[in-house]
Amino acid sequence: MMGTILGSDVKKVVVACEAGMGSSVLLVSQLRQRLKDTGVVVEHSPVNRIPPDVDVVVCHRGLEARARGVVPDKVVVPFNMFLGDPAFDRVVNAIKEGGPLQG
Amino acid sequence: MSQLLAPDAVRLGLRASDRFDAVRQSGDALMEIGAVQAPYIDAMLERERQMSTSLGEGFAIPHGTDESRRWIIETKLVFLQFPDGVDWEDDTVSVCIGIAAVGDEHVGVLARLAQVLVVPEQAARLRGAEGIEDVLSILGSPLEEAKP
Repeated sequence: MMGTILGSDVKKVVVACEAGMGSSVLLVSQLRQRLKDTGVVVEHSPVNRIPPDVDVVVCHRGLEARARGVVPDKVVVPFNMFLGDPAFDRVVNAIKEGGPLQG
Repeated sequence: MSQLLAPDAVRLGLRASDRFDAVRQSGDALMEIGAVQAPYIDAMLERERQMSTSLGEGFAIPHGTDESRRWIIETKLVFLQFPDGVDWEDDTVSVCIGIAAVGDEHVGVLARLAQVLVVPEQAARLRGAEGIEDVLSILGSPLEEAKP
């Protein structure tokens, strides 16, 4: 099920991958740096251990269903490409502008 | 830089018959440097079968599963270069950065990798590195500030 959150209500973003030691680690610093003046916490996690206090989950399309199973009531934004996927911009822009983020 | 990626973990000019051979070689290298125990290599192959670890720009980051963390002795990375390229689903991979991580010590190196890969000339330099020092200097240099 898709949900919506206002960017201004986002306090924690989690980048999830299967093991929590590869792609999520690679991506977390980039997202952290892009959001560094916003006060939003950015963490990475294995998909099965996404913390319940997350507001937005970012993960590869192939893990989207598992992420939704772990945190069914949260916004999950899937991406297809590790480098330069527009999904990252969508998350960053919504948080910076405070507008709605669907996922 | 730290010994997360040590000189003896950088191996250039290798060949692999296919993607799984390249992953196995990455696992063997992690075991040789004392980062993992043998079952971790099977977990790397299993993880690769579930979903490709290719990132684009000719790089892949083979690693184990969440469950296989118990076979990790120490957080370390290896760098394996395959100059002829390895067929990798829809991609051709020239570099495998094998990962064994129990903690977050490798965040800096992977963040640096992500920065390198978004600049095509830098990615090409890393793919075509001719010496171990080149690899260590590219991946070991400090993070650049993100452009606004």
